[in-house]
Amino acid sequence: MRRVFLVVLLAGVIYYTYVAFADLNFLTRTGRPGPGFFPRVIGISAIFIILWALIDELRKGADEQEKANPEAWQDVVMLMALAIGYAVLLRMFGGFVATVIFLGVTLMVLNRTQPLKNFALAILIPGGVYLLFDRVLNANMPPALYDLPI
Amino acid sequence: MDKTETKFGRGLLGAVAAAVVAAPLAVATPAIAQDYPSADETLDWTIAFGPGGGNDIMARSIIEILNKYDLYPGEISAENRAGGSGAVGWGYLYAQDGNGYGISTTSGSFVTTPLQADTPWQPEDFTPVALLATDDLVLVVNGESDIQNIDQFIANAKENPITIGGTGSVNVDFIVPTLFAKRAGFEFDYVSFNSMSEQTTALLSNALDAMVGNPGEILGLIDSGDLRPMVFSGTSTPAALEGVPTMGDIGYDIGVSMPRGLILPPNAPEEAQTFWIETMKKVVETPEWDEYISSNTLTPTVLYGDEFRTFLGNTKNGFETVLREVGAIE
Amino acid sequence: MDIFSDLMMGLSIAISPINLFYLLIGAIVGMIVGVIPGFGPSAGLAILLPVTFGMDPIGAIMMLAAIYYGAMYGGTITSILLNTPGESATVASTFDGFPLAKKGRAGPALVMQAAASFVGGTVGVILITILAPLFAQVSRSFGPPEYFLLAVMGMLTLLVMIGTNWKFGVISALIGFALGTVGVDLETGQGRYTFGSAELIGGIYFIPIAIGLFGLGELFYAFYTGLHKTGTGGIVQYDKEERFWPSIEDWVSTRFTMVRGSILGFVVGVIPGAGATIASLMAYSTERSISKNGDNFGNGEMAGLVAPETANNAASSGAMIPLLTLGIPGSASTAVLLAAFLLWGLRPGPLFMEQNPELAWGLIASMYLGNMVLLVISIFAIPLFVQMIKVPYRVLGPSVVVVCALGTFSVHASFIETYLMFAAGMVGFFMRLYGFSPAALVLALVLGPLAEEALRQTMTISRGSFGIFIERTPSLSIICVTIALVVLLPLLNRFGNTSAGESEKAGS
Repeated sequence: MRRVFLVVLLAGVIYYTYVAFADLNFLTRTGRPGPGFFPRVIGISAIFIILWALIDELRKGADEQEKANPEAWQDVVMLMALAIGYAVLLRMFGGFVATVIFLGVTLMVLNRTQPLKNFALAILIPGGVYLLFDRVLNANMPPALYDLPI
Repeated sequence: MDKTETKFGRGLLGAVAAAVVAAPLAVATPAIAQDYPSADETLDWTIAFGPGGGNDIMARSIIEILNKYDLYPGEISAENRAGGSGAVGWGYLYAQDGNGYGISTTSGSFVTTPLQADTPWQPEDFTPVALLATDDLVLVVNGESDIQNIDQFIANAKENPITIGGTGSVNVDFIVPTLFAKRAGFEFDYVSFNSMSEQTTALLSNALDAMVGNPGEILGLIDSGDLRPMVFSGTSTPAALEGVPTMGDIGYDIGVSMPRGLILPPNAPEEAQTFWIETMKKVVETPEWDEYISSNTLTPTVLYGDEFRTFLGNTKNGFETVLREVGAIE
Repeated sequence: MDIFSDLMMGLSIAISPINLFYLLIGAIVGMIVGVIPGFGPSAGLAILLPVTFGMDPIGAIMMLAAIYYGAMYGGTITSILLNTPGESATVASTFDGFPLAKKGRAGPALVMQAAASFVGGTVGVILITILAPLFAQVSRSFGPPEYFLLAVMGMLTLLVMIGTNWKFGVISALIGFALGTVGVDLETGQGRYTFGSAELIGGIYFIPIAIGLFGLGELFYAFYTGLHKTGTGGIVQYDKEERFWPSIEDWVSTRFTMVRGSILGFVVGVIPGAGATIASLMAYSTERSISKNGDNFGNGEMAGLVAPETANNAASSGAMIPLLTLGIPGSASTAVLLAAFLLWGLRPGPLFMEQNPELAWGLIASMYLGNMVLLVISIFAIPLFVQMIKVPYRVLGPSVVVVCALGTFSVHASFIETYLMFAAGMVGFFMRLYGFSPAALVLALVLGPLAEEALRQTMTISRGSFGIFIERTPSLSIICVTIALVVLLPLLNRFGNTSAGESEKAGS
């Protein structure tokens, strides 16, 4: 899996370097380091060292045993999915509603034995945050794209 | 509404799209033209920057005057819609096409942000109310410098190329010295800083030869003699800088400054525009407004309606030309 | 004793009941603002600024200043308990603070951070009181060449952060540098990796990245290790027998750390633009390379928490120097304070303290009181916060996601930053899992843009010549200090049993 991560990083860095070469000037008109100077240096060094690390990984080859633990992965992936869902909900329904839904669902999944407590938390936490941010501090809360008819 | 969505729903990022698409939902039926302003309608005042900034202070000062002299019959709700150097807030106003109850104040970013990013709006798109003041810059040198006045400054700059510092590059800080140098016939290297404080210490540490800045922020250093003012870019020198010539005074007028004005959404009803023009004529007569102008060392420059739109267009074109020449924008 | 009489005069102003009340309000708001991840002192100040318009300037400025340094106290609480920095200057406090909590030492860690904050803050005010004019000279001697050298000095501390696998450490740092190049290029105005987005014009702000990498990343990792399944337990099985108060050894072993952290933090804080974040990161890595237990840093070493904590509080005091003596704000937060001064018709600058002695000395005196108030509030608040880690992780976890997301959004009202935070959370999990260094990434993201901008400014000023670095006295001195540190520190380490007293001299 570490190899996959390195390959993903490599892809990102190659794109970064490509943009640095394609769109950004290496030097300014007066011949000093321009906007593309450091991106190129950073990009090329990153490609070089990620490749090196990747080769190291491949050399280690078979004797490297990843602690395959499907059950652990299951929960992490689920939490990540829930977090992404939350990000989408924030965009659509604003800070308060999205938080109620996210907490409701997530707590239901993780903490099945105490439904009443989950329900209370899913209302109280967003309520408290709303009071603190919006009423006390006048801080920004994500606005809703669509208003829910409540 | 559908039209708005298809036009801006795609390709735009983040909150810009949110503001653009959300706004039509919030806006009720278009204002009935005859009886503007209706006391039942809340005026939705967008401040495109966070609290404490220049734009915020200006908006809140005007609202305070409006309330004090009862110049607006209904409620005024001021909301900071910060983000993307003003793109979010003005995008929100832009989406209220045809509405007379949305309003916002402008600042330098109103001209520069559309030059740097793909905003759906341009400064001329909005319904102009009035230009109220301009932010102008003062050129200063280190107080320990031998250069005493602007003539010596220009003479020296023609002999030895100099460096001038300013905040940002797609910015009036860059445009003003560039145009001035062109007129006065000297060359310089512009050094761009992130903040006024970094450029000020750079000048105090003698790393720079000169810098430009808003007088309000450096008056203390000018008073103490740590910085020496050379020339002012506005049309008339503020009281605090008495004795300093303007660029016009010495024959090198550049005609560029940052607009602080008032705008309505695009295609706002004519009644609304007329009402606000008349109202602002009263606002600029108040002692509170004088106080605001002098405490922020702005130059009072008043233009109404379409003259303001023309001013915005000229400023934008002027910026674009200079910035394109130096390759800052494509 | 001129200073003494000035200070007494200031104290007599600060101690009036109404001003003390404002001070208390400011301290409490500062704590709250600090505790919320992302929502830092500058945002808090800007939002509360309008409230102060009708107030008497002295009371108002005391309150605003208290919000500012109070946030440094609050910011560490979530760093220790949740591995989520409350604000940018407390990123370094997660490195050892959170491991301490995991070891079951959350109580002592919180008490020690409050004490360290108090020491840092108070040493800072003492230095302002007696040496303000001297340090004003320091802050006005910094031009681009000096900033570049400072950034390079900071990058040396990357070496300490890189961890066991150097290739992965370097990769982490390079990613940080790469992220740092996003945004409109300062010199030419050309957009770099902004793809036309207005929200990326200003670049990638590092707070969403830090909250994501540390806070969310840690949360995902905890789920990976199955922490949410362990019955009713929270982060640790909190043992009632565990001492709440720090041990004698905690105090004794960190006494010189506090001195070093305070002085380093103050000096860095005095330099406009460097600020508390860089101060705390530098203090952490300096301490790590000096300490006998350097290898244990990152595993819950008390000195690793105390160093950045004293440094960020001392730096926030130090940042008052350019503000009061030159009218130059050294940080985003002091910029808001400057805006407040201007609003009240004051004219900050070299003559400010002379022309407004009541205000200046009232403010300085209030900072002594404010630090005491904050220490007391912290001591009372800590038992409440410690309850947090008794909450079962499966309940605490989702709440952390909420706090991270909404806290990030509140800073700039930016969805892009909120999404970046989520993305950084996932990347942070994998970095953690595969042995990369999120700390190196964050440090590179902070220092990279500073170094690049300063170097390019320097090159413009010197017309391409590197000679400028040795021609200017301040930059030459920084070079000498850096070389001295690089040469001396390993020597000191080699002698192994160096007493804390001797290494103290080398560190400061």
